Amino acid sequence: MDFSVEAALAALPALLRATGTNIAIAAAAMALALAGGILLTILRSLKIAPLNLVIGVVISFIRGTPVLIQIFLFYYGLPALGLQLDPLTAGICAIAFNSTIFISEIMRGGLADMDPGPVEAAIALGLKARAIWGKVVIPQLLLRILPPLVNEATIILKGTALLSVITVVELFRAAQQISATTFRPFETMLAAAAIILVLNVLVSQFGGMLERRLAVRRG
Amino acid sequence: MTLDLSIITDNAGLFAQGAVATVYISVAAIISGLLIAFPVALLRLSPRRVMSWPAVAYVELFRNIPFIVMLSLFFYGLPFFGLRLQPMTTGIVALALFGSAYFAEIVRGAILSVPRGQMESARAIGMSYLRALREIIFPQMLRFFIPAATNTSISLVKESAVLATLSVAELTYQGLIVQGQTFAPFEVFLATATIYWGLTALLAAGFRTSERRLGGQAQRGFSSRHRLAARYLSLEPEPRS
Repeated sequence: MDFSVEAALAALPALLRATGTNIAIAAAAMALALAGGILLTILRSLKIAPLNLVIGVVISFIRGTPVLIQIFLFYYGLPALGLQLDPLTAGICAIAFNSTIFISEIMRGGLADMDPGPVEAAIALGLKARAIWGKVVIPQLLLRILPPLVNEATIILKGTALLSVITVVELFRAAQQISATTFRPFETMLAAAAIILVLNVLVSQFGGMLERRLAVRRG
Repeated sequence: MTLDLSIITDNAGLFAQGAVATVYISVAAIISGLLIAFPVALLRLSPRRVMSWPAVAYVELFRNIPFIVMLSLFFYGLPFFGLRLQPMTTGIVALALFGSAYFAEIVRGAILSVPRGQMESARAIGMSYLRALREIIFPQMLRFFIPAATNTSISLVKESAVLATLSVAELTYQGLIVQGQTFAPFEVFLATATIYWGLTALLAAGFRTSERRLGGQAQRGFSSRHRLAARYLSLEPEPRS
């Protein structure tokens, strides 16, 4: 069988349309994970021993098990607990939950590296905890952890392809469906790989640009 | 809602087979991935563009394409090059190459973490480049290398779950089989996850031991001088003075 460039090109429009789903899923998951990560970090900073113990176990579980299984647990497993989610919602929740944990761990590292001076000044000025978190700690923390956050965004984007296994029609599943009718799986997959490669490189480049922009403010 | 443990115990054989296959696949991919990573990293560090550029392209390709897509590229693509492999072999090859890209970046970072003077001195006293790497650079880079390589190895164990999409009979695939027979997804996937959890924990513990043997990492704690700020900046319980 010869390689057919036409087959790869013919698949592109449909694949590009399906990529919109990946972008939407990734954006939703990233937004949820960022909010979740901040909340979880603040919760952990309260240092409530039994709560932190439970959070510690959950962190270890999420970090120690494949995302694929976590997606299965959200989609196939949750109905057993009385929570039936459609594939798209279950998938977004699974990826967002996974990423919340990783972002909280990134934040833990970022906090440990931060200059304690501004926080001490804020405490000395009598700022309320809310203001210290919202106006002092979080803004500086986000600037500091921007590079790993961008990396996490690319991980999320790559993770969206896994949702094909729970029947979400995104890029990879679209590629499989096209292959099934054209019998050109290699060419179609190559086109799909090229699309997500470009997308990921764009996200990384955008992150790099953002980093340079904010470098001045980071000091 | 109660957990029906008999679903797990009745199918313990399948889970065990799957776990063994997952360990086999992971170990094979980790070892070959590490072996491929060293030449890739050395090429990447070369000052000559013709040598470093292919290594950069290799690393970026594998790091920016999702493994599930990469795997199916290998599955459908290798026959184009006259290579007809078993799905299991295809999976191991893909996982090893995928891992090698991440390992190569770690090796590169680790080599760069050793001060330049070390290589220059070794070369100055007449050591060959490879001998200087082996005897001077490698021993010093391990401190940096081992923690990062542990994380990537754990990622590979987790990523091996994707081989289930090629019907390779590893742990996730066996989980799907048991789920198809018992219709108890919650128990099945919780059990599958727990086995992965155990495997990755074992791997982490193994690497930690080797790290301790090599002198161990300095523990970074929050300085007691900044106990006030630690209310916000530390998630660890406050140290007793």
